[in-house]
Amino acid sequence: MQNRLLPYLLTLPSLFLAAVVIFWPVWDLLQISTHDVSRFGQLRDFTGLANFWTLLDDPDFIAALWRTVLWTVLVVGGALLVSIPVAMILNMDFYGRGLARVIIMLPWAVSLTMTAVVWRWALNGESGMLNSALMKLGLISQNIQWLASAATAFPMQVLIGILVTVPFTTTIFLGGLSSIPDDLYEAAALEGATPLQQFREITFPLLKPFINIAIVLNTIYVFNSFPIIWVMTQGGPANSTDILVTHLYKLAFRIGKLGEASAVSVVMFVILLVFTMIYVRLAMREQRA
Amino acid sequence: MSLAKWTVGLLAGMSMLALAAPADAGEVRVTVAEYSAKTGPYFDEVKKEFEAANPGITVKFEVVPWDVLLQKLTTDITAGTNADLSIIGTRWLIDFVQQDVAEPLDSYITPDFKGRFIDTFLSPSIMNGKTYGLPIAASARAMYYNKELFEKAGIAKPPATWTELQEDARKIKAQGAFGFGLQGKEIETDVYYYYAMWSQGTEILNKDGTSGLGTPGALEAAKLYKSMIDEGLTQPGVTSNNREDVQNLFKQGKVGMMITAPFLSNQIKEEVPNLKYGVAAIPAGPTGARGTYGVTDSIIMFKNSKNKDEAWKLLDFLFTKEQRAKFTQGEGFLPVNKEEAKMDYYVNNADLAAFTALLPDARFAPVIPGWEEIAQITSDAMQKIYLGGDPEAGLKDAAAKANAVLKK
Repeated sequence: MQNRLLPYLLTLPSLFLAAVVIFWPVWDLLQISTHDVSRFGQLRDFTGLANFWTLLDDPDFIAALWRTVLWTVLVVGGALLVSIPVAMILNMDFYGRGLARVIIMLPWAVSLTMTAVVWRWALNGESGMLNSALMKLGLISQNIQWLASAATAFPMQVLIGILVTVPFTTTIFLGGLSSIPDDLYEAAALEGATPLQQFREITFPLLKPFINIAIVLNTIYVFNSFPIIWVMTQGGPANSTDILVTHLYKLAFRIGKLGEASAVSVVMFVILLVFTMIYVRLAMREQRA
Repeated sequence: MSLAKWTVGLLAGMSMLALAAPADAGEVRVTVAEYSAKTGPYFDEVKKEFEAANPGITVKFEVVPWDVLLQKLTTDITAGTNADLSIIGTRWLIDFVQQDVAEPLDSYITPDFKGRFIDTFLSPSIMNGKTYGLPIAASARAMYYNKELFEKAGIAKPPATWTELQEDARKIKAQGAFGFGLQGKEIETDVYYYYAMWSQGTEILNKDGTSGLGTPGALEAAKLYKSMIDEGLTQPGVTSNNREDVQNLFKQGKVGMMITAPFLSNQIKEEVPNLKYGVAAIPAGPTGARGTYGVTDSIIMFKNSKNKDEAWKLLDFLFTKEQRAKFTQGEGFLPVNKEEAKMDYYVNNADLAAFTALLPDARFAPVIPGWEEIAQITSDAMQKIYLGGDPEAGLKDAAAKANAVLKK
């Protein structure tokens, strides 16, 4: 009996912490999103789902929602595609590997906001580094106004998103790769397996649980990621690079509609919760099979 | 365990935390906006001088960047942890008054104290006959022009009308520079459009209280800017340039003309002292109408402050002539204090004279709830037009949205 109770007792402190840090704000958020709220968060009448219906009528919200999906898929997918080969290379034994690892990890050490600020300078139309570099290489004859429209700004933001997501993802994969025993490869090589076959039959299947973790964690981070888009364009011009977080920030702190902003927040929370549950279910079923 | 029990338990925990934080008697906390690198050091100095003169009172300044000031205040007020005094944009004041968080200062204000202020700048802080804030910073906008580029292009004097401005911009473009710097990103993107709109005799709000964006004058103004972009008279990539970006182009001598605040003079003096520039009035429209944007920031006292008398003493100190002069000159604002305005620094300053001459044409942000939302709607509409959208459809849509906000 005592043994059964023990696990619960042991998790109680962290559960309490989670309650204070997670459940409390979520509860607060639900309260605000279902009430008429003053600019400074004082609750007035209960309005049920009114705030949520207002959101559905708002074309900017719908556009931001789809753009968030696109943003998350592109950044998470792009980071995966880059990280797997990078991790495999860094896992090999070669001269200067330590240095290479440091260089790959470096973007991680810089704060996201600072990275975004630097890129904003680099992408400046008239005095940005990128334009002058491209100009010197003879690739362009006229300055490109990178941040002036979504057509160029959003792809750049996605690329930067990938760049800053790669270090973390690579770290996960490096951990995964080092857990694969070398004798598997040796045996496969003896049987005459090509490197591609080795990758498809050994590396990829054994790396799968790590890929799953990387997908879930990165999706949560990227979906909620604020600094890159905010610093570079503030979701503009004319909301054309807005994702849900930047839309939410403007609603709450520019315009003062805390009720609607909380509703956006609840929607985001639910989307992530559902995604994580479905994904974890699918991934676990696959592993059991 | 039910949610209600959780709530009770957590509330108990929170209130214990709240009790643990000591409410110092005689401590005045002030949230101030960081206008420039000089703001922090100035208030450090104030703290020293004021505390020396008023033993028993300690002052704590929280210097917050402008961009996050409203966010900080919103969260602080929601949590009940706001300071005693705070600088706010005067255009936010109506929200603070309506939500009943701002304390009227009339019981403290003596006729003598009131007499220190220039009325134009004090009046935006007065609502329903009560003074809720004191103008801590005041500014207006005028047109800067690059004298060297003007000379090269053979232009004798700054343009008096928008038609002249277009012609001058063409001449400057022929010299390989950008004629007119047009801001198209972030804070005050809407204001940059109002300069052209006001010169058409159109106001932000029509007399019947509806949005001015649907009027023919508003359309003319939008068409003017759009035609200048299409003709290449502005800098390229308008929607990627915020105010600082355009100012930087001006400092680099790449832009012939731009409209901005007095603080650009201070920046030029420090960063590019050799730049030859002049300050002139904002161009007028066909009927001679013109308008500049007047802005004040107010310092307000919160209703829930526990040290109101001490806070008032600090306000009294901040609004003496010496303190005002030090702050205003450091930041490059306009004087709000009558005695201060008579100082040589202001009287003999040609740049500032151009700004003060425009004050009769100054419009302040309208005092209506939902103003920030209307500003956002206008900025978004302008960005669409600058990117090539149809001005007529864009303005019609924006006017409808703004009117919906105004009706609430």
